[in-house]
Amino acid sequence: FHRPTPSDQEAWFPRSTEGLSQATIDRATAAKMKLEHYYKVALEQAIERNQRRTNLENTLMTSHSSDERKHRQLMSLGRKESQYLRLRRTRLGLEDFATVKVIGKGAFGEVRLVQKTDTGKIYAMKTLRKFDMFKKDQLAHVKAERDVLAESDSPWVVQLFYSFQDPQYLYLIMEFLPGGDLMTMLIKYDTFTEDVTRFYMAECVLAIEAIHKLGFIHRDIKPDNILLDATGHIKLSDFGLSTGFHKTHDSAYYQRLLEGVQNSAGTESINLTFSSKDRIATWKKNRRALAYSTVGTPDYIAPEIFMQQGYGQECDWWSLGAIMFECLVGYPPFCAENPHETYRKIMNWRDQLCFPEDVHLSREAEDLIRRLIASPEHRLGRNGGANEIKSHPFFHGVVWEDIRKIDAPYVPQLRSITDTSYFPTEDLEQVPQTPPPSYHHDMGVDNKDLAFVGYTYKRFDYLTRKNAF
Amino acid sequence: TKPFGVPGKPLFLCSPYVDQTLVKGSFKTIVVLPKYVDRDEWLAFNTFEFFNYITMFHGIISDYCTPHTCPVMSGGPGVEYAWIDANQKKTRYSAPHYFDTMATWIHGQLADESRFPTKSGLEFPKDFVYTVRTIFRHLIRVLIHIYHSHYDKILNLTAEAHFNALFAHFVCFGKEFELLEQRLRQEELDIQIAAQALEGLASA
Ligand SMILES: Nc1ncnc2c1ncn2[C@@H]1O[C@H](COP(=O)(O)OP(=O)(O)OP(=O)(O)O)[C@@H](O)[C@H]1O
Repeated sequence: FHRPTPSDQEAWFPRSTEGLSQATIDRATAAKMKLEHYYKVALEQAIERNQRRTNLENTLMTSHSSDERKHRQLMSLGRKESQYLRLRRTRLGLEDFATVKVIGKGAFGEVRLVQKTDTGKIYAMKTLRKFDMFKKDQLAHVKAERDVLAESDSPWVVQLFYSFQDPQYLYLIMEFLPGGDLMTMLIKYDTFTEDVTRFYMAECVLAIEAIHKLGFIHRDIKPDNILLDATGHIKLSDFGLSTGFHKTHDSAYYQRLLEGVQNSAGTESINLTFSSKDRIATWKKNRRALAYSTVGTPDYIAPEIFMQQGYGQECDWWSLGAIMFECLVGYPPFCAENPHETYRKIMNWRDQLCFPEDVHLSREAEDLIRRLIASPEHRLGRNGGANEIKSHPFFHGVVWEDIRKIDAPYVPQLRSITDTSYFPTEDLEQVPQTPPPSYHHDMGVDNKDLAFVGYTYKRFDYLTRKNAF
Repeated sequence: TKPFGVPGKPLFLCSPYVDQTLVKGSFKTIVVLPKYVDRDEWLAFNTFEFFNYITMFHGIISDYCTPHTCPVMSGGPGVEYAWIDANQKKTRYSAPHYFDTMATWIHGQLADESRFPTKSGLEFPKDFVYTVRTIFRHLIRVLIHIYHSHYDKILNLTAEAHFNALFAHFVCFGKEFELLEQRLRQEELDIQIAAQALEGLASA
């Protein structure tokens, strides 16, 4: 067989999409894009698979174990690879998971501890009600969340293993972090010592740095999103708001806050005379309700985000400052009776940031907070990124490279892989075991379905590990 | 300007269209059985993917493949494929009817835990490779039909590089695991030639 020579063998076909329907053109574009993606992934996976194999072969070459043992190890790798291939053609649904317990609640759904029925592995399943999300224009929100979770291999980010959907819900199957979240910890302990605070803040610095390196801005770092793994080290969850661009729902939401402020103009809160203890008590009473509400709490959001004039990665360092304040003082720096009031305080942060007299903070701690709760241009981290923050005197003595290897201040005492004692499950008893069918079944929802096509992600390492942990 | 071809050759065999491919380098990289990996699992995974992508590309032309335009499932001049059901009964279907019947059947196979197990611990049946061969026989017919009867749509949509790549990949995989029939009719050989051309191009 030989190739025809171009001169006498060339054909000519004038291309035109005239007469083809828009649906056809769209389908063709989608098919082309998907195939390109397919080959890209197929190649990447072939390379990774090869690497795993040669790595093992090389290790075995230098090891002294018996040939039989080596053979068994190679076979075991083969089984893992085969298992992974099987997972990739598995279509998962709700029926493949059994709920053990409801462990958390967020704006658009709940988080449940679930067990995959065939393997017995434990996961956290986050349910998102599509209807509510579309209503609130949260599509980009979910997409961003999924992308960050899926793309990262970072030890600082909660891993996403599978996702699937039915007409009502989107389901995210994530690794289960049995240690609960920092919000629950703060509710339990009121405040942390500076040493404990240093540990959590240092880990947060590394976690935020990792997200920034992925090219994302989190924008919504708060204690509810700082989760603790089985060893008591942190991971960030919930990339709800992390996206590179503004979304329309934001402006509407902040606009509403602004209107609220105007309505309540002049209503200065009267808790100036309260001691820190009283404030902690009031704050804690409302804290969980706020976490469960659709609006969420603006307590940790940097002022420039409200101003709609653009912001950069440094907004996450503000949030860190607010969380650090809360760890040491017991409530966040701008906490108030309602979100409008908090919003107003954040906008006036220069006058509103004050350290209560009955709480003692070291000079370094107060200085770091003041450098984080600062205008964007003067904020620590603005110029030198995470390194600028790492070299602040408050962090003196922190071994940054090995921090995940040291013992955490609070290590969860777990009795089993399904232990949920670190979650406020008694608050969640009314939440049904399985997501109830929703009543809004209109066309609008189904039309949007396409946006979720390809909403599947499966990760090799964890899935083929023998036990969940 | 009117399209013109080369005498005695279908358009898809003509330059420059036959030379277009999305993928450079040898398909072998992603086709051969990876060392230590279970053969059935590899076949199952790839069959699943080929089915998804081939039906996706069929979706591009499906509006233009009607009982009217394609009253028989043809694979080029003089080649007609009959549907053979589970009882070996042959039926003549129009191309869209053939495709629907076929896609439903393959989908059923892929979803059948006793044929394509996905649950942990379930084994593949002994005759698994026969099922895969049957699926491949049907899928290549779909590709051949598109080449012979709907290639103008592929060109109008500038999808030939993609379609060629998918086709060459499919044939390369089919050959590697002996999933395609050895004996082909002359008209079908054209297609084989196209595949070879693409493969030659890919590994050049
Ligand atoms: N992977 C996980 N492992 C264990 N618990 C989790 C996990 N993910 C979430 N949780 C628990 O569920 C709670 C709510 O989850 P999350 O913050 O992700 O949802 P959310 O509040 O709905 O987020 P948003 O409303 O901002 O989208 C968390 O505070 C935490 O206690």
